Amino acid sequence: MTEILKINNICKSFSGVTVLKNINFSIQKGELHAIVGENGAGKSTLMKIIAGELEPDDGKIYLNGTEVKFHSPIDAIRAGISLIHQEFSLVPQLTVYENIFLGREISKKFLKINFIDKKAMKKAALEVLKTFGMLNISVDSKVKNLSVADKQLTEIAKALSTNSSILIMDEPTAALTLRETELLFSILKNLKAQGVTIIFISHRLEEIFEIADVVTVLRNGELVGTKKIDEITMEEVVSMMVGKSMKSRFPEKPIRAISDEKVLEVKNLSSDAFKNVNFVLHKGEILGIAGLVGCGNMQVGESIFGLRDFDGEIYLEGKRVDISKPTDAIKAGIFLVPEDRHDLGLVLQRSVKENHALPNLDLFSEFGFVSQKEEKQSVRASISYLNTKVSSINQRVDNLSGGNQQKIVLGKWLVRSPKILILDEPTRGIDIGAKYEIYKFMYDQALKGVSIILISSELAEVLSLSDRILVMSEGRITGELDPKNASQEDILKFAVKGKES
Amino acid sequence: MNALSNGFIRKYGVIFGLVGIIIFFAIESPNYFFTPSNFILISKQSSINILLALGQMFVILTAGIDLSDGAIAGLVGAVAAGVTVTTGNLFLGLIAGLGVGIGFGIVNGIIVAFAKVPAFIATLATMSAITGITLIYTQGEPIWNLPSSFDFIGQGSLFDIPFSIILMALSFVVVWIILERTKYGRHVYAVGGNIKASRAAGVKISSVLISVYAISGLLAAIGGIILASRLGTAEPTAGSGYELDAIAAVVLGGTSLFGGEGWVVGTIIGGYIIAVLNNGMTIMNISAYYQEVVKGLVILLAVMLTSFGKKYWNE
Amino acid sequence: MKSLILVALMVVGIAALSMAMTIGFCVSTLNNPYFVSFTNGAKAEAQLLGINLIVMNANNSNSTQLNQVEDLIQRKVDAIILNPTDSDALVPAVIAANKAGIPVITLDRSVNGGKVDMYIASNNVEYGKLEAEYAVKLLNGKGDIVLLTGIPGASATRDRTKGIMEYLSQYPNIKIVANQTAQFDMATAMSVMESILVAHPNINAVIAENDEMALGAIQAIKAAGKSGIIVIGGDGIPQGIQAVKDGTEAVDIAQQPYKMAALGVSAAFFIVNGLSISPTSLSMPLFPVTKDTVNQWIASGD
Repeated sequence: MTEILKINNICKSFSGVTVLKNINFSIQKGELHAIVGENGAGKSTLMKIIAGELEPDDGKIYLNGTEVKFHSPIDAIRAGISLIHQEFSLVPQLTVYENIFLGREISKKFLKINFIDKKAMKKAALEVLKTFGMLNISVDSKVKNLSVADKQLTEIAKALSTNSSILIMDEPTAALTLRETELLFSILKNLKAQGVTIIFISHRLEEIFEIADVVTVLRNGELVGTKKIDEITMEEVVSMMVGKSMKSRFPEKPIRAISDEKVLEVKNLSSDAFKNVNFVLHKGEILGIAGLVGCGNMQVGESIFGLRDFDGEIYLEGKRVDISKPTDAIKAGIFLVPEDRHDLGLVLQRSVKENHALPNLDLFSEFGFVSQKEEKQSVRASISYLNTKVSSINQRVDNLSGGNQQKIVLGKWLVRSPKILILDEPTRGIDIGAKYEIYKFMYDQALKGVSIILISSELAEVLSLSDRILVMSEGRITGELDPKNASQEDILKFAVKGKES
Repeated sequence: MNALSNGFIRKYGVIFGLVGIIIFFAIESPNYFFTPSNFILISKQSSINILLALGQMFVILTAGIDLSDGAIAGLVGAVAAGVTVTTGNLFLGLIAGLGVGIGFGIVNGIIVAFAKVPAFIATLATMSAITGITLIYTQGEPIWNLPSSFDFIGQGSLFDIPFSIILMALSFVVVWIILERTKYGRHVYAVGGNIKASRAAGVKISSVLISVYAISGLLAAIGGIILASRLGTAEPTAGSGYELDAIAAVVLGGTSLFGGEGWVVGTIIGGYIIAVLNNGMTIMNISAYYQEVVKGLVILLAVMLTSFGKKYWNE
Repeated sequence: MKSLILVALMVVGIAALSMAMTIGFCVSTLNNPYFVSFTNGAKAEAQLLGINLIVMNANNSNSTQLNQVEDLIQRKVDAIILNPTDSDALVPAVIAANKAGIPVITLDRSVNGGKVDMYIASNNVEYGKLEAEYAVKLLNGKGDIVLLTGIPGASATRDRTKGIMEYLSQYPNIKIVANQTAQFDMATAMSVMESILVAHPNINAVIAENDEMALGAIQAIKAAGKSGIIVIGGDGIPQGIQAVKDGTEAVDIAQQPYKMAALGVSAAFFIVNGLSISPTSLSMPLFPVTKDTVNQWIASGD
């Protein structure tokens, strides 16, 4: 193998804060190189430097043995390096082929005037898609109508059509379903076989061990090490990332007996996203609802919290409750920690204090006036219980890391002594340390008698944490499992049930 | 440090702007501009715009906009004056005026909250309709010969302080308390910042939306009454164009047009920047042609400084 | 008896003629008292003559007015009375009416092109000159004055300012210490005047290019606790006349919008009935209303 990219002594700091310190490593042609590290480790900054979006303060980049200096992403693209961001840079109103050739439209001359040659563009786009096995995308569909996965493939096709030899992908699987991830991986393998070098940022270690050849670990802006994937274990990668050895990604499950006391019972819940959902939740129980993305588990959670219209009955501690809006659920003691905390959980431009207090203002105020003292006490108590790291309670939440943001969302409901917590993908986009703390928090709440509905597509998480697992597929509950004697495969079997038949 | 600087620039940049403009005029015209009596005059002149701007701020904080507040001020001035003249009762006139202001504010709010019409279009439409209603009500003729009790609101003083300044200061204090210290104020900020997350936190969205337009209508009504009283005349076209000065004051003060972020003191300072520019340039007898250009440039510069500052510190 | 029948026949004849007559009346704006009075004059005259008058208000927008004239041509009105929003921008409208064979009468402002059958206006240069003349007279040829001008770029502003400046240039002892626009608007005039009074507390007179600005200046002078400043305005709106009566406004150069529009309507009536009128342009006299002449003016009823 030949060395295609060499990173030599790269340093970068922002307004006095060092983000990258003396980074050295090299990448071989045709390898799939994973970059891992906790949030804030400097992965994204490093990738932006390689792709010309940022310029390093110091250090050199060698491409095929010669030094390159990129002043803009266009320089990098010309040199054959493309970066695919988590947020896509596609124009939703345009079609797939128009996006692939955006800014490089193929034209033909007619009466000395350049006209866009749609036929040629479609043909060329189709060829790119065919070469790399992305046959499921129609070049004529508008990007806004595509699934996240297909948008991503379009983005990849766009990069490949510029003859990129190095493809950098920032968390490409974050928003994909299991199946879509599998498809992406098969395409990546195909690309590799054709000599494309892939740099891949991910939080999901299972994925990295499935697909990567080499892994480079960053921690706090420093390079901890670069290892061949078959010479290292997952535990070793984790300890390299967090800087201490961690026995397991999951805390030990506390031994406890779960009472038969029914806290919640849903009967014949139906909506456009799910059908005839029936289940019981006991006091202090962690009930996992697993399934592939789009199976309806998220919608069940949002419906119980009053965010969606549904038919059916909900019984809380034996009494029928009518939940048509979030306020009803909040009054009943049922709270949701949503999957997309930026969309539903937080007011990003407001402070930690205000976000914490928002649903709880009735508790801190008299005649409509907010008691500053009670409010501060409450937010401080919650921050210290959850070990949330904030510089001040007046700090804006958009400056916090994902894990700390999630703790703010969790903390605001604790004030109201929840009966039921619905946690929808509670650890998505959160680093390993914070994940561990959130798991511990869940156990702590369960021990206090809070019942938890855990909606997750991370099978390891569901298996490790749940006391009981329901699996959904196509909007229906297809199976119930006891995690003590079930495996990820067992869950998957139920998760695809109904899809195949 | 980072977050601190960010907030610092955003909040205090506008203060430096105002101080800079004042220093400039003080050097250019030390004898006339930089005098206590002129500052009272500037406060008096800015009071109407600031009242409208405080109301406008509530709306902009929810990511809306109220283009009709100038038109409401005009109609309220006419109704208050008209009812006072026909009934001979100042109290009835004021109640009618304030009622009309709140009423049209609620209409705006209902259109935005329930009919889901974008605020820009909804209030553009009501602005046009309200302007027309004012012309119908006044038949295009000014209402004058108002009783001296009516004139007190805009022309009188209490303890040597013009009453309009007292009204402005009181409104500022009340608005500050509402936005910074009450449950309702928190809801206003939250709805503007993230309407979905606010709903999921149990905030009643439609009542927040309707009430901010009602508040804007109320403050525009107070402004309109002061305007009519200051002139001793309710003109049929009074208030037209005031909405733009009010929006300028709010934005100069650092409130985001995308909602969720803003600072009451900033709005006051924004209003003062506009008033100081008008007053200072007139004192220096700068030609009207250049005044418009200067005003535009200063507003642009101030907003750019704020956003550049924000960007720089965020990097 | 015979003559009585003849008169009756004539009345019927005129009524029959005018029954079919529809006249479009395009006013530049309806949100100030001058044009409200102007429009009322036209309506009253049209009612008297049994004319169907279509009133269109352009809200000071050239393009709106152009559209309105085009609409009137489409409706095949018998004549168009145009109070143009702008002298140049409405030329195409007049040409379009000419092509359709519809007579055009312009009022208060001229149009610089096309064929106009009748033009009636006050002379704005004369208006400014009269204001300046009274200022000089009342100040005995010496003093500091403030000039409040109208909307920058508007033809009335240009002409009135021209008249004022030309006249004052003959009097070196009259000094214009501040020259600011107040947009023909009362509230603006008050704020501008308040600021001017800070810089120039000892001025002797204010010339405002309309009554509303004069009234705004009067409010500012009152608020500043000053007295003895001569304020000169114009247009002759009721509030201005009242101010003259009260002694707060020294002179009001009154125009006669009501009569002007009424004259315009009767001119249209004659033209449509095939009578030719000469001269084809008429200057409405201006009437300087002072404390001495105010009762006479009120009695004349405009």
